[in-house]
Amino acid sequence: MIGRRAFALVLATLLAVPVLGAVPKDAPDITLTALSGKPIRIADLKGQVVLLDFWASWCIPCRRSFPEVDALHRELQPKGLTVIAVNVDEQQKNAYTFLEKYPHTMTIAFDPKGAVAQAFDLQAMPSSMIVDRHGRIRFTHEGYTDKTISQFRSEVLQLLAEGE
Amino acid sequence: MMVLKTRVVLAVAFAAAGLSATACATVQPWQRGLLADSCMVFDSNNTAAYMTHWQESREGSMGGFGVQGGGCGCK
Repeated sequence: MIGRRAFALVLATLLAVPVLGAVPKDAPDITLTALSGKPIRIADLKGQVVLLDFWASWCIPCRRSFPEVDALHRELQPKGLTVIAVNVDEQQKNAYTFLEKYPHTMTIAFDPKGAVAQAFDLQAMPSSMIVDRHGRIRFTHEGYTDKTISQFRSEVLQLLAEGE
Repeated sequence: MMVLKTRVVLAVAFAAAGLSATACATVQPWQRGLLADSCMVFDSNNTAAYMTHWQESREGSMGGFGVQGGGCGCK
């Protein structure tokens, strides 16, 4: 009888995984270099909700997402959100030109070799990941549409509420 | 026999060289900066529309002139 129950439990779990979504993966333990030159280790950000936004100067949708993500950072930073905008330009001067054009308050980091992008298994540009207070990637977004920023807001608020 | 062996070795070497010289490579999403450059767009100098119009008039046919978009692949 117990065997049957255990079997049913395992079966239900296996069936539930595709329905409820994949089990959250831990964010890779990597270190980014900030615009200021300061290293940022992802593992050190545990306890905070982190939005990692991968962008590039050549990425057309990023011209829209970048200022909107920065506005979200200004709005939710006091509540505990950390935004890191990871630039993947191979030529950093292109990123600097972009940054001069788009004023920002969020943290900017550079990944010219794509090591961080590879570690996060980036599938599209732009891409964003929202990491919870336990360092697990809970939400992944590929591309940027009219609805993306409101999805970011609700997901971040959900993760901020989880830790309270 | 020696000549045949040499020929086989040469054939294998050429085949290997040919296979290794294929130009296929996977470009990752974050490596598309060069592909997204404006000079990579088919109609970067805007003359293609004129050329297409000219060709359509001359040939009496329409369509079949490539696809839209650049190489960014952004979503």
